[in-house]
Amino acid sequence: MEEIVLGIGITALAGAFATVAGAAEDTESDIGSQGDPNSQVQLAPQMGYIHRIFNKAISGEPPAYGAWCAIGAGVAWALMQINYNPALAIILGSVIAVFVQGIYCTSGYLGRIASLAKFQQPVYIDIIKSLLSVTMAHAFVAIFCTVAMCYLMASALHHPFALPLLGLVWGIALGAAGSATGNPFYGKERQYQNQKYGAGVPISASGNIVRYAEAGQRSSLDNGWFTTKFAGPASGICFGLIVFLELWRTVLFEKMMGGWGAIIMGVVLILVFTFIDRWVEVWGRKTYGPYTTEEASS
Amino acid sequence: MSALGGKAAGGEGINPTGSVVGIVILLVSIAATYALGFSIVPLIGIIIGGALIGFGVHFVPVGGAPAAMGQAPGIATGVAMLAAGAGLAGLFGGAWAYEATGDFAVAVAGGAVGGGLMMAITCLMVNATYVFAMGIPAASGKIAKDPITGDTFPEYKSQGTEGHGLPFISFFGGVVGGFIAGLGGTLIYIELLDVYHTGLPAIMQANPEAIEPLAVSLAGIFAIGFFLVNAVLAAYNITGTIEGPHDPKFKRVPRAIIGCAVASAFCGLISMLIVLNTGM
Amino acid sequence: MTAKMEASAGAISENTLMIYGIVVALVGTYLTYLNVVTGMAVFSFFGGIGAIAAIWWGSDTIKHLCSYGLGTGVPSAGMVAFGAGAIAMIAGTKFGIASPIVTLILAAIIGAVIGYIANNVINMNIPVMIFSLMKLSIVGALTMLGFAAMCTGTFMFNGLVIGGMTLSMEPAGEAAAGGAQTFMVTVLPEFAGSLIGGSALAVIFFLGAMALQHPFNACLGPNESQDRTLMLAIEVGFLSMFVVAVISYAFLDMMAATVGLIISLIGWIYTYKQYIALSKRDAYAWLDAKPIIEVGGHE
Repeated sequence: MEEIVLGIGITALAGAFATVAGAAEDTESDIGSQGDPNSQVQLAPQMGYIHRIFNKAISGEPPAYGAWCAIGAGVAWALMQINYNPALAIILGSVIAVFVQGIYCTSGYLGRIASLAKFQQPVYIDIIKSLLSVTMAHAFVAIFCTVAMCYLMASALHHPFALPLLGLVWGIALGAAGSATGNPFYGKERQYQNQKYGAGVPISASGNIVRYAEAGQRSSLDNGWFTTKFAGPASGICFGLIVFLELWRTVLFEKMMGGWGAIIMGVVLILVFTFIDRWVEVWGRKTYGPYTTEEASS
Repeated sequence: MSALGGKAAGGEGINPTGSVVGIVILLVSIAATYALGFSIVPLIGIIIGGALIGFGVHFVPVGGAPAAMGQAPGIATGVAMLAAGAGLAGLFGGAWAYEATGDFAVAVAGGAVGGGLMMAITCLMVNATYVFAMGIPAASGKIAKDPITGDTFPEYKSQGTEGHGLPFISFFGGVVGGFIAGLGGTLIYIELLDVYHTGLPAIMQANPEAIEPLAVSLAGIFAIGFFLVNAVLAAYNITGTIEGPHDPKFKRVPRAIIGCAVASAFCGLISMLIVLNTGM
Repeated sequence: MTAKMEASAGAISENTLMIYGIVVALVGTYLTYLNVVTGMAVFSFFGGIGAIAAIWWGSDTIKHLCSYGLGTGVPSAGMVAFGAGAIAMIAGTKFGIASPIVTLILAAIIGAVIGYIANNVINMNIPVMIFSLMKLSIVGALTMLGFAAMCTGTFMFNGLVIGGMTLSMEPAGEAAAGGAQTFMVTVLPEFAGSLIGGSALAVIFFLGAMALQHPFNACLGPNESQDRTLMLAIEVGFLSMFVVAVISYAFLDMMAATVGLIISLIGWIYTYKQYIALSKRDAYAWLDAKPIIEVGGHE
């Protein structure tokens, strides 16, 4: 019984770490403009729209965060092998991972923009100078929380995988969850703020991203503020739920029915989420209604 | 990231010579495993696991860069890595269940449910973003009516786009895809773990409890390698974006299953070389 | 709409890169054998140099493959290279002193099979697919082997899986009169603290996969130039070598690990400065805190 209580406590803590990590990950990837929305930032100069947005061309978020969290977890594991204190080891591992991430950010920006010289897009060095520390800070939060969560799973919940492998697995899952939830919000609502709300961006508008902000020229730094309005917390909830429910159903129900208890709980949870999704979908259709023909559009 | 020029020049349909050669490679791998003195049951399990990963990836709705702008339905991430994320989350649960119960069926089902659960939560949050934050209801661009719920789409599709969000059939596809991919990945992991459990103590002259972390890590790293190879092959088959099981591109599944099965067979043979007694 | 991309021709030919890449990677990995010859672990960093040569060659191969329009993008080519390369590398380390060569052959075979499947079963029909995937698998396997050799000081299976020795004591017989008890002490290898046993190889796996696809992905565009891409490849290689050097503190003694760390830092600083200089050369303009330059009437 005591073991289950400890397990639930660790599960809750891991879920909390995961929520923070998810929020920080999505904010970081929007400040740096990584992943699928970045293709619009790449396209804009080719359509004649010069911009001052950080074009962080690393790769998608899942492999990138898989790499950073694996580095963080690997260095932490190596330091713990030479008897460093676990907390210090995780912090140092996250620092090294963030250093690598920062270098990848700068080389991605310089590389892509220099290769767009034909379209007269200049390299703005002050973008790197002002944004790099912000991106690295958010990435540090995401990586540290993920590695700490993996350490809890390895040592307190006794998962058979070693720490670096757990870091890789959950890093990829973090990137996938944050990318899926946060990319449409950044891509449509922020980059194409000038398009009509409540509709997708028509293909004819590709490349015409917002480059002039509320006052002055848009900088990617503002994307952080914007992301934390919705997409950041939503990504946090997404990843937090994934981690928490995965651990919760195993810790509580693994011993029941020879292991089948956890499986049945998992299926029940999938059905619950399916119902919620159906409700959201129907609510959207009813509340927004179909497109009507143009009568008197005001 | 689809910032590449040139359309993919692949042909449609199954290439008969290629498929036959592939199946020959698969049978040769099985024969070689038998000749080297291993049981072929784990290799069959690995082949089935690889084929399942390839099959499952086709269910996951991926819209790529256009989905990030509300121009296409699906999730706005790369298909290989999204499937890898779901499958690995499933592998995490399945490995844990195997460690705790030692029961093959429980572990494989646990991996499947883990993958399905991750996709269910992710797809729900994607729909929540589209509906609550962006004000866009889901609509498919490839079909007029949802086969499961009967919702109609043309009047909800924004002008100039190919659809947006995750209609229920895509959500269903996502969950099923995560389920099958998690199933396949965990199957590969457990088969490899069993091979290493029996093989490693023999060649390293160590007792099974001590060798346990090494067997788990080897099986885990190999499972991730298999996952990436199979998911990328399936992604090549899809050529980047797919709306889900209702998409016409879904008909390309058979050649992905053959391809992933052959790749897994050959790679499985190589991964068994580790416990081969070469005398070195 | 996708961005248009043309692959630049480049001053160094594909075959030159391949020959240099394979030779330096193999020589670098074999030079770590000096550790065994001399009894010191200081020569481990040669493995890292070999891995960098493989990444340098591989980034050009990815460029030629991806210019054919795969539909999925550059990172997946790096993932498949390392997925196949990891399988080949671990299997290849079982062959003693011949491990690097066997790894290369195994990786080539796996790459050819996967390339054949992609081209003829999945029907992609890309002319260079089989040969490119062969080369990419070799790059993946040699990179992992080089970094593993740098991390642990050896490229052979036993060195990668045995993390240390523990003593196990068992009573050897009946306690003699007077209470004296004899014990049998056996020295047992323990596996959880090793490179593969502790899954640190997974870090090298993904570190290499990101490093391989990053140079071409980051320099993608109409004005991509080969020398800048290759310089970024070497820079990212030294960065990965730096991470591996930090991890090697768990496996090598202090001096050997510090030698690797210092060499990787010096190499990284130099190549990073060169990369920035090359970017400055290629960029349209290098502005600091200047407004947007409007080029057309697209307001």
